[in-house]
Amino acid sequence: MVPRSYKTDLWIDWCPGCGNFGILTAVVKAFEELGLDPSKTVIVSGIGCSSKIPHFVNVNGVHTIHGRAIAFATGIKLANPELTVVVHGGDGDLLGIGAGHFVTLGRRNLDIVVIMHNNGVYGLTKGQASPTLPMGVKTKALVKPNIQQALNPIALAISAGYTFVARGYAFDSEHLKNLIKMAIEHKGAAFIDVLQPCVTFNDVFTAEYYRKRVYKLDEQPEWNPVAEKPEERVEKMIKAIEKSFEWGERIPIGIFYIDKTQSTLEERYSQRIPLYPSIHPAKSNITRDVDKPLIDNNMFEKIFKEYIVDVEHI
Amino acid sequence: MPREGLSMILGGPQGAGVETSMTVLARALARRGYGVIADREYFSNITGRHSYIHMYVSAKSLPRSLRYPVDILAAMDAETVFTHIDDLGERGYVIYDTGVLQKKLDEIPSMEDVTKNRVREELRRLGVEPVVEDVLNFLRDSKGAGIIGISFADVLKTLMTKHKVDPRRASRYVSGIIVSAVAVLLGLDEESIRWSFSIQFAGREDLVAQNMDVLKFVEERMRSFRGVASLEKPSNSYSKLMVATGNDVVAMGKIVGGLRYQSYYPITPAADESFTIEKYEFSEVDGVSVGPIIVMQTEDEIAAICSAIGAALTGARSATATSGPGFDLMVEGLSWAGANEVPVVITYYQRGGPSTGQPTRGSQSDLFNALFAGHGEFARVVIASGDHEEAFYDAIEAFNIAERFQVPVIHLLDKFLANTVKTVPLPDLNKVKIFRGDISSGGLNYKRFDLSKLISPRAFLGTPDTVMWYAGDEHDELGHIVEDPENRVSMYSKRIEKMDLILRELPPERKFSLHGIDKPDFLVVGWGSVKGVALDALETLEKDGLKGAYLNLKLLWPFPLDDVSKILSSVSLDRVIAVEHSYGVQIARLISMGTGMRIRKTVAKFTGRPITLDELVDALKRILLNNVDRVVLKHGA
Ligand SMILES: Cc1ncc(C[n+]2csc(CCOP(=O)(O)OP(=O)(O)O)c2C)c(N)n1
Ligand code: SF4
Repeated sequence: MVPRSYKTDLWIDWCPGCGNFGILTAVVKAFEELGLDPSKTVIVSGIGCSSKIPHFVNVNGVHTIHGRAIAFATGIKLANPELTVVVHGGDGDLLGIGAGHFVTLGRRNLDIVVIMHNNGVYGLTKGQASPTLPMGVKTKALVKPNIQQALNPIALAISAGYTFVARGYAFDSEHLKNLIKMAIEHKGAAFIDVLQPCVTFNDVFTAEYYRKRVYKLDEQPEWNPVAEKPEERVEKMIKAIEKSFEWGERIPIGIFYIDKTQSTLEERYSQRIPLYPSIHPAKSNITRDVDKPLIDNNMFEKIFKEYIVDVEHI
Repeated sequence: MPREGLSMILGGPQGAGVETSMTVLARALARRGYGVIADREYFSNITGRHSYIHMYVSAKSLPRSLRYPVDILAAMDAETVFTHIDDLGERGYVIYDTGVLQKKLDEIPSMEDVTKNRVREELRRLGVEPVVEDVLNFLRDSKGAGIIGISFADVLKTLMTKHKVDPRRASRYVSGIIVSAVAVLLGLDEESIRWSFSIQFAGREDLVAQNMDVLKFVEERMRSFRGVASLEKPSNSYSKLMVATGNDVVAMGKIVGGLRYQSYYPITPAADESFTIEKYEFSEVDGVSVGPIIVMQTEDEIAAICSAIGAALTGARSATATSGPGFDLMVEGLSWAGANEVPVVITYYQRGGPSTGQPTRGSQSDLFNALFAGHGEFARVVIASGDHEEAFYDAIEAFNIAERFQVPVIHLLDKFLANTVKTVPLPDLNKVKIFRGDISSGGLNYKRFDLSKLISPRAFLGTPDTVMWYAGDEHDELGHIVEDPENRVSMYSKRIEKMDLILRELPPERKFSLHGIDKPDFLVVGWGSVKGVALDALETLEKDGLKGAYLNLKLLWPFPLDDVSKILSSVSLDRVIAVEHSYGVQIARLISMGTGMRIRKTVAKFTGRPITLDELVDALKRILLNNVDRVVLKHGA
């Protein structure tokens, strides 16, 4: 295939200084380094500032509806498991309106990467509190301090069943790029929570704020987040969840949890349907002789025999 | 004298095996060449509430409507006797359990108070004590009914002793008693019953033998009734018949039509369709692999439609199935599919609303929901099926239309069809064609939403050397967001103008079917499950010199207004009668919206129970002969 740039030449309509730029850089770099085939790669996004990202990357892009990117991605991946599917969404998108889908992807462990642009606010609707904004915090767009508790995306993802769970920081593109590469190479549901400063609406969790606080788990010699054997699973999970509550003067980024013990949804289907995924729904034949259904009268009777009565007149 | 056709009600508590009785009987009857239609009525409850099968068997044809009064009332319990007191015809037969003879109306906890009061009033009016025995005596005296008491306990005890069955399992054989009693009345041969039991209990020879013994014990107890309600020799010439519900038939149609991804979130009466599909997710026959079909139970209906759309983008034929409440949740996704020209099929089984309404009962009150749900204007197609046969072919055609025109297609059905078991001729797959529409091989200059064509060239996600974008926002030819007014006008219009093309290209038989005589004196108009009963009503009325026709509307959106105007113009408008299972008879309003012709005469039924032949005939007569405008039907239990 003719090489093409992994970036489109569209004007990027994010606010200057937005954390999304750092994420875009990391994504493009990761795709490049992995040499992903753009025609076999799909970015699926919801709605929000962050969800505009597919238009800026030169791979297939499916920009869907608020909160539903994972649901769309599920159909895409199941119907054509050859595709690399990466979901992008905001914290409002994925954990507010889309929370049910977010949790379900973990239960399924389908081989999809979810990258959450976590800015603590609903950017595109002008700064309302998102599900990750702590209670009592008042960002400048809020009339009064946030009255709802924040949820912990890392803990949620781990308990939901994601088998790769990490946190990145938008303005450490190199580190984030590596996380994205690992997430794509991981078989199963992967989640990356990306700390993404919103320069326009979040004056609390700013680039300044994060720069001072983030530190890398991978640089901690004692940190080993990988569950290799079933018996290590619960212990590693608990450690990772515990770690995920570290938030304040020090904020860990890097890999929280990798679970190598779980089958993916594709594998589970392959056990039930022998030909899947080598002959998958998007690729399997549905006709013969151009426009005739695959199933003819004879086959119909054989397949649906339990509904068919041979009439015997007496 | 043997009869040409026969109606019956099999009733009992939900979970006690009424459905099994019906299935065994229906298959046995089909085995001998009889036609069967059986509607299943049940509460939204798992065990205990009253459920019943309303069935019609014909020696002459494959029946298409139900009728009251019935010839046989087979009651598993006391509640059935009370509830269906009005339903038995002259010289009919009641099969009952002598164990409930002294049961009083007030002692039936599963019966709703409203119903109990209604029945109590009715009994008082008739001067009958609210006790099973008195009701039975009344039926014998007033209607000449044959009252056949069987001690269920006795039969079961005999069986338990002979086969050493655990007494706690005894109640499982009650369905066998009902099957046996009906079979004896009909004089049905033992072999067909044995055959049917062996299908029902495939691989469990012990159960077949035990149920055959039930037949023997029941027969001994009702020897004098053998064949008293016998049917004529069937004149059908079918050598094979399908016995299936509407859910099953649609599932088969989808599979034949090349379905590759089906999503659903559990809801009555749609979920059974997905179960049937899942059974056949992959088949290998005659060296050909059919499938794989991924059947996905999603977390909700939103995910169901969104994942089906996602699958469609990869080129897989994909669909979801739901009913009203689920469809409501799918609407935002539907709008996205409209904006992005995605061929996806929504199989929509209507049930009683609003809200959860009557979750297990039928209705046709969601027509406008299917036509207009969704924000913004976009092309969609709504098709409806009149019966099982149509539903099979329509399930395939839904995909063809979706892919040819790149639009979401809503296939509108209802609970009556979903749960009704019918004898259906085997489909002829030589008549079926698969149209996949304009599939593009993509390439570096590929434009998903090419404005030079009315139907966009469709490449699938994953096509080599091809990259495409989709967005719910207004987009340019590549799929990128664009707010430019001129692009808006061209893109928006292009999407909607497909509707005219669809109207032009679909052949008339996909749009409607017209039944009955050429120059009718009156015209009945309807869609969906009205078809069967309307056709039977026309035949009945013709015997009384009333000559009518039935217009069965199939393509509901885009609405074929020219065809409909033409047909309606052939009759005076006050001789046009719209019939629907709804309060509003929405089809009349849709017609007047499309054609400006206002239909004033309507027949409405919104009890959740299907329109039966007798009540439709009566309603049409009142409208035609007594100049009544609107008749609301209420029959059913
Ligand atoms: C069903 C629905 N409800 C509401 C909206 C309005 N809406 C647009 S973007 C958005 C929030 C986006 O916030 P977030 O997901 O955090 O992403 P961000 O813009 O911060 O990147 C909302 C609520 C919508 N598009 N759809
Ligand atoms: S509002 Fe915030 S999230 Fe949205 S583009 Fe601007 S800075 Fe980025």
